[in-house]
Amino acid sequence: MKFNKKLKTVFLDPHSSEIKVTGKVNVVLSPAFYWVKKLALPIKSVGAVKKLLPSIFEDTLPEGTYSYYAYKKEDLFIVFAYEDKLILDTLSQKGLKPANVANIYFAQTELDIIETDYKVDKNQNIVLKDDIVILLPSMLFEKSQYLDLKKTKLSKHKITLTQFGHIIDSKSIYKITAILLAFIFLVVTELFITTQKTAEIVTLKEELFTKYKLKSTMFQNRSMLKKYNNIHTKQMKIREYSSAILSLRLQSKNKLTQLTLKDKTLVANFSGVENGKERYIIKVLKNKKIQFKSSFKNKIFHVEMAL
Amino acid sequence: MNRINPLHLGLLLIVILIFVIFKLNNAKVELLEAKESYKETLIVATELKDLKKVYADKKKLKKSLQRILQLSSLRSAKIVKTSKKTYMILSSKSIDKKALNTLMAKILNANFNLNSLKIKQLSEQKASLYMEIKW
Repeated sequence: MKFNKKLKTVFLDPHSSEIKVTGKVNVVLSPAFYWVKKLALPIKSVGAVKKLLPSIFEDTLPEGTYSYYAYKKEDLFIVFAYEDKLILDTLSQKGLKPANVANIYFAQTELDIIETDYKVDKNQNIVLKDDIVILLPSMLFEKSQYLDLKKTKLSKHKITLTQFGHIIDSKSIYKITAILLAFIFLVVTELFITTQKTAEIVTLKEELFTKYKLKSTMFQNRSMLKKYNNIHTKQMKIREYSSAILSLRLQSKNKLTQLTLKDKTLVANFSGVENGKERYIIKVLKNKKIQFKSSFKNKIFHVEMAL
Repeated sequence: MNRINPLHLGLLLIVILIFVIFKLNNAKVELLEAKESYKETLIVATELKDLKKVYADKKKLKKSLQRILQLSSLRSAKIVKTSKKTYMILSSKSIDKKALNTLMAKILNANFNLNSLKIKQLSEQKASLYMEIKW
């Protein structure tokens, strides 16, 4: 309020001349910019009245996009309807940028205590009639003084203009904003849940490392598993190939004289094998799909099996 | 009087929405990767545990080997047992056929890591043996 006292207050009317000011100003709207009604309603709160205003003004207002304002005075509600775009356009015509406008008031709220008429321009006087501030032709009055707002103490009934109300109405803005906010909320919630799940899985993974006494990196663990898998595969083959060799039904003259395992080779030597009789051994090994190399020398049949 | 343009507000909210959707997609990818990593770790851990239990449990393997060597058919075979840090050697300059069959059957049916083996026939009933079991 202290700050407001320092600001200049101007009266805005469609017929007023260009307003030349520097810095911010308070604006009092001429009755030409709004419709006003005094109502006695069986409602207590101003908020509830505001909801009814579009219906209350429905039959009065010409076609357009209107904003509404209401306040209670004694037992009556004073209600207003105004066109944001019309006021903004007029402000612009009179050389006032929206950025330079501090607050906007209705003449009704600021001048409802005047006791006489005042000239607002050459052709119009402002008067209070039946508690309503109105404009009347100047010809009806004689020697009136010009309206001076310097000493006027401004009320708390100020309005804020919606600069884009003619592009998109407030309800749509609220709906779209609510939908977008709801989407953002849902996505953020899902983001939070997903992050939590990831953190839980990371913790479970760390617990696995402790429980199974794993090495610190998966690279080490993978290479260790590979090493043990190779051992397992080799041992399985040793058992499979040994079984194949030991279960051969050799002729009485044929003997298994040597069985050797070194690195990745299992070697078997058979003695007393006549030339051509080694076919049986070869057939058995082939049937068991064992990869081998063989040689035959001095009745010794030599078989090398790769593990 | 300076009010935010609702189109700017809408645009800001859309940008925020796109940003959080982008973050959500990244978070979902991270979750998927974490799940895959967990699955892989579990598989590696359980397989490693099982394989280590079979091939790297020195205490258990030694005990098992001791049990085999104490069999009545092998006790008289004079098999020499030499323990090293990472492996054990079983050797015999002359082992009879029956004892050798018993020993080989037991060793091959158990889960020993057979590293080296040499069996050489000496006569109809005898053979020499050299075997390395690793852990």
